[in-house]
Amino acid sequence: MDLIPGVNATASALNAENIRMDVVAENIANAYTTHGADGQPYKRKVVSFESMLDPAGSGQTTVQVSQVATDNSPGETIYDPGNPDANKDGMVQMPNVNLSTEMVDLMTSSRAYEANLAVIRNSRQMAAKALTIGH
Amino acid sequence: MIESLFSDPNYAASKVLLDATAERQEALASNIANVETPGYKRVDLAKSFTEAFTAQVKAGQASDIPQPTIEMDPNGGAERQDGNNVQLDKELMDMSANSLQYDTLTEFVSGSLKQLQMAITGRSS
Repeated sequence: MDLIPGVNATASALNAENIRMDVVAENIANAYTTHGADGQPYKRKVVSFESMLDPAGSGQTTVQVSQVATDNSPGETIYDPGNPDANKDGMVQMPNVNLSTEMVDLMTSSRAYEANLAVIRNSRQMAAKALTIGH
Repeated sequence: MIESLFSDPNYAASKVLLDATAERQEALASNIANVETPGYKRVDLAKSFTEAFTAQVKAGQASDIPQPTIEMDPNGGAERQDGNNVQLDKELMDMSANSLQYDTLTEFVSGSLKQLQMAITGRSS
């Protein structure tokens, strides 16, 4: 048992949510990137989580990012003949990023992060209280 | 006198409960950490522990209470579509109650030790 109960699980969740927020930020930043390094429009990335038994042996169930996958669904095409990436009909293939979806993801992630911070605060108070025994 | 304090059923029970509360905090931390993990099932204190503990307290003794352990909660409630059954609000409420219980127990243990100190020194602080 740790001095602060549950700290490994909470720390792993904070880290995982951090990675998720990084990926959401990348998606939003590239919402209008029609020409990536491979010449193709940007494809949004999706984070998936998996739980695992704490490798440090505390017996807690920690969480980690199992993979950052690429969403291959097609994005919309818009008519913009002035765009250098337009095809001969003047249509441009846009990235498959939906800003609303990404914002909802960002909010969910941010709330989960806050919940885990609340856990740390609470556990820390418990540890501090244990130190007052006998005083 | 000293033996009678340390073997007092209430004192012994509160020591075990302090362990159990810290253990439960770990379970709740695991649940909240995994609130977004597909297929995760919530964990809590093992039922075998809570039952054995209640039975011992009812019998007015605290001699052989098992160590508190964590296991998957069989009454974890409805699963979401991703197979996860953690409800964040419920976990946070449980956690508040749990840490309040821990505070109460530390006060009780402190109080017992202070009484002993008073008996030894004859002074109240």
